[in-house]
Amino acid sequence: MKKRIGAVVAVIVVVGLGFAGWLVLGRDPMSFAGNATVALEDYRDATVTGAPAQLAGAELVKRGEYLTHAADCQACHTVPGGTPFAGGFAINMPFGTLYSTNITPDKETGIGTYTDAQFLAAVHQGIRADGDYLYPAMPYTSYTYMTDADALAIKAYLFTLAPVHAPAKPNQLSWPFSQRRLLAAWTAMFNPDERFRPNIGQSPQWNRGAYLAEAMGHCGECHTPRNLAYALDNRSKFAGALTAGWRAYNITGDKESGIGDWNDEDIYLYLSTGHASGHGGAAGPMGEATDDSLSYLVPDDVHALVSYLRSIPAHASDLPRTVTTPAPPSHKEGMPVADADARGEKIFAGACASCHDWTGVSPVTGFATLTGVRAVNDPSAANVAQTVVHGVNRTTAGGRIFMPAFGAGYSDDDIAAVANYVTARFGAKGAHLTAKDVADLRAQAAQPHKEAPDG
Amino acid sequence: MLSLTINGQSHQIDLPEDMPLLWVLRDHLNLVGTKYGCGIAQCGVCTVHVGGKPVRSCQLTIGGVGTRAVVTIEAIGQTPNGAKVQQAWMEAAVPQCGYCQAGQIMSATALLNFNPHPDDSDIDAAMAGNLCRCGTYIRIRQAIKNAAAKTA
Repeated sequence: MKKRIGAVVAVIVVVGLGFAGWLVLGRDPMSFAGNATVALEDYRDATVTGAPAQLAGAELVKRGEYLTHAADCQACHTVPGGTPFAGGFAINMPFGTLYSTNITPDKETGIGTYTDAQFLAAVHQGIRADGDYLYPAMPYTSYTYMTDADALAIKAYLFTLAPVHAPAKPNQLSWPFSQRRLLAAWTAMFNPDERFRPNIGQSPQWNRGAYLAEAMGHCGECHTPRNLAYALDNRSKFAGALTAGWRAYNITGDKESGIGDWNDEDIYLYLSTGHASGHGGAAGPMGEATDDSLSYLVPDDVHALVSYLRSIPAHASDLPRTVTTPAPPSHKEGMPVADADARGEKIFAGACASCHDWTGVSPVTGFATLTGVRAVNDPSAANVAQTVVHGVNRTTAGGRIFMPAFGAGYSDDDIAAVANYVTARFGAKGAHLTAKDVADLRAQAAQPHKEAPDG
Repeated sequence: MLSLTINGQSHQIDLPEDMPLLWVLRDHLNLVGTKYGCGIAQCGVCTVHVGGKPVRSCQLTIGGVGTRAVVTIEAIGQTPNGAKVQQAWMEAAVPQCGYCQAGQIMSATALLNFNPHPDDSDIDAAMAGNLCRCGTYIRIRQAIKNAAAKTA
């Protein structure tokens, strides 16, 4: 009997370890490029970490400010419309809601008492000053690749901010996810806790791009699907995922579902301005990533990101190729009868057509053109629905980009109908959202903040 | 310095490129027939023609106009369909308070330019973005049909 129990236990342990090992296989975000890597101090080809050459002579705080933008700390550590870096941003997950924390140098509620070693432990290992683990919503499995010097430059910059007294909001997580101690096991499995290792088989530009994308910009945290343990599964690196109710699209080289058909200039413009003609504009979290982070990068760094993105292996996902021809100018043409949602058409006529046109090509601004936009060619219509609910309200170097938020004025039924209509008329395949789907999407993106003026 | 063609005249304009066209028309060129309503392209009262299309001038920046010709309510009566629409509007006594009517006439004229004989569904699709809080929609629809029936 004892033997039999022992055998069962042994099988469970072996299967468990095997499963854990399988999960961990997708851990390394740069393994696709081969393992010809060297320690940073042994890499002599170029400087691929730190602030760019333009800021080489600048003081520490100035370099730290650039790197803080590059790492996009602000997007999550700020409530939209609130004081930057004071925390409180809600991260909604299937098992509850986490709130980001205050990283201004307030001694009581911020990070004002953090030593350099404590700051590095948080950034690289996900361990906060009191020794507890941070939830991996803080992307320390990406930031772990950041050099000590860069992390401390960011700290130096953050410590020049005005301290804000903003106590952390209590997280609302269900058991067992509310048990921080369990994160020790998670972290041991999924955080490599190692610094960036340049790849000598790749160009210096590629290595700079890899550092910016992985250690700083943490693109994969939204664009890479997660495994059952909610860690990034880099076997489908950058193949797209739903994060906080918005779909982060496939940015691999796949021609149908990814960005294989984009030229370098399109990718460069999209990253640096949040818009590329014929591909539409960034909204939601990618709009924030552009406005808080990517738009601050010097051109060489954006080109490096393009070079890195170009090297990501194509990974087909379930998205159709985007339709690049405009719809006909008459509302009576161009729609398959099965998709002609009368309610959606009525809403589109009253609220949307004046800017987006019945063709989808906006007479107002290229930012409002729907033709060729990935979100419109996504049969889940998640981002179309979110954009209708939240609107767009971006401030860019090129001026303000604005679409009213219709979330308060229109019901979930209305928003589902218009999203279904828009994807059918201008995209590859019509969506079939229901009011409940829209309610779910709203809940996932819910933030304690003011939206753009109601439409 | 931007060059804009408005109602057939060329204007040299030294204003920020991100200024909405409506501001320039009303405050700098004294073309006050075009009205301000909601400011977010949801009411249609600021509609002008840009490159022949009905466009909400509160959302279009002057930098975004490009080389497209702008026509406003002040000059629409000099176009064949604009004249027919204005005549039909007077015959049917369409306006009540009148505030939205410049926008209604601009959208109606653009519709007839694109589709000389619109049916009810075409009229709805073209005019749904032009609100009238007096509720003159029935007369608007009739006047558009009357204008379409007029011979030039």
